[in-house]
Amino acid sequence: MTDRTIAVDYLARVEGEGALRVRIHDRTVEEVELRIFEPPRFFEAFLRGRSYLESPDITARICGICPVAYQMSACHALEHGLGLRVTPAVRALRRMLYCGEWIESHALHVYLLHVPDFLGYPDAIRMAKDHPILVQRGLRLKKAGNAIMTALGGREIHPVNVRVGGFYRCPSREELEPLRPVLEEALGIAEETVRFAAGLPFPAVEEDYEFVALRHPEEYPMNEGEVVSSRGLRIPATRFEEEFREFQVPHSNALHSMRRDGGSYLVGPMARYALNRDRLLPRADAVAREVGLEPVVRNPFRSVLVRSVEIVQACEEALRLLDGYRPPERPFEVAAGPFDVPGCAAATEAPRGLLYHRYQLDATGLIEEAKIVAPTSQNQKRIEDDLREVVTRSLELDDAHLTDACERAIRNHDPCISCATHFLTLDLARD
Amino acid sequence: MHEEAMLRDLRRKLVEVGRTESVDRFSVVRLWVGALAHTSETTLRDRWPTTVAGTPAEGSRLDVERSDDVHDPRAGGIVLVRVEVPPVSTTTDERAPAALEGPEGLRARPE
Repeated sequence: MTDRTIAVDYLARVEGEGALRVRIHDRTVEEVELRIFEPPRFFEAFLRGRSYLESPDITARICGICPVAYQMSACHALEHGLGLRVTPAVRALRRMLYCGEWIESHALHVYLLHVPDFLGYPDAIRMAKDHPILVQRGLRLKKAGNAIMTALGGREIHPVNVRVGGFYRCPSREELEPLRPVLEEALGIAEETVRFAAGLPFPAVEEDYEFVALRHPEEYPMNEGEVVSSRGLRIPATRFEEEFREFQVPHSNALHSMRRDGGSYLVGPMARYALNRDRLLPRADAVAREVGLEPVVRNPFRSVLVRSVEIVQACEEALRLLDGYRPPERPFEVAAGPFDVPGCAAATEAPRGLLYHRYQLDATGLIEEAKIVAPTSQNQKRIEDDLREVVTRSLELDDAHLTDACERAIRNHDPCISCATHFLTLDLARD
Repeated sequence: MHEEAMLRDLRRKLVEVGRTESVDRFSVVRLWVGALAHTSETTLRDRWPTTVAGTPAEGSRLDVERSDDVHDPRAGGIVLVRVEVPPVSTTTDERAPAALEGPEGLRARPE
């Protein structure tokens, strides 16, 4: 028997969730712990016993925003171990696919997650009422990125056309040609985005980051390059684990990562830009100069500007690759064996930063061991360091405003959890 | 992780509905599960008692409607369709005794 029925009709949302524990004693910040509750996902364990050919599709499921990054790091690592060399046309297509992911991921972050912070809106939906043009620009850019993903990957999210050795099918020039007007329009919107972002009100903040990114001899890095840092590190990606240590912390389910001989470090657009400013293509370089973007950006709030420049770079690069594209004779290369690879590794540049994969295969090509170091976990410790600075600067704020300041600081780095507009539970102890 | 996040969000919503409607106990909670929601009714029922422990939905009956329509715009999600409120005054004393007995009491009532 029922007294009344309450109609709700509410669609459950999947959101990242976190908590921040801050302990302040005598006006000194003694403890800052960012706690991520998402349970472990065990992808490295899932891979054990699976064919090496399955890794690009399994690992793509780690992220709905940057599946290409996982596919690329998996392919490069395994091809490195199996001695496979892809054709220049396949290499170009992979880079173009990566451009699509950068465009859609960065556009989402810039317009739907980051800009509302600067304009004083709690989210993009409410910003859209007053600034519909901004949201439309973001969505047009995202659509352009999605168009590349669909043309090369078969669909917008979790593409299905990538395989170790190349692509299952490579498109003809005619099939890619419709991308041209979409990308030309996107390039113009991206340049406008940089000009718009340059006028946002940035707090005067500078952080002492150690930047880590790939660096390629000729290109702005996506698929290949050495791992370099702003403090002089320069190693092949295969030596990544000799220099970087991933570890668990008691207060969070997210892994942390540090330099073995140092502290936290930052990967992502600010790091890539700082270490590869001289590799920008002409229009990206020109618009960066036009708005006076410094060669090394250490203000995390200005990451929105760097991310915008990278959208220009990705649009320009995709158009350049489209101009030069000739379909390969074979869409993929096949490994002849032997398959017993004791260890193979590679790193590529996901939109959020350097993504490292390592694999060990048995004689039949089954994966015996896999290690994946994602950019968000690499930045986790550095984000905590940023939060410590934010709290130290904001001791006078009440809890609600302090929470808001901390959420903004986290969103500067576009971690996966930033999709949740209001996610942070602040546990503040002031002694 | 995916279904855990959705269940946590449902829990938040149930608490909010209880607060805004000034109700401290629901007798029935009805969910609609999309064809592409990547969860099963069994999993939902297993996780439900822990999910709603300490909310107005604790001890309530869970009705699940499973959709087969992959083209439904909400096929990928779980919808909290409605809740039903029992007819009598709902103080915590009237809850099932098991619900008052700590962790062991968090098991769902037999249906």
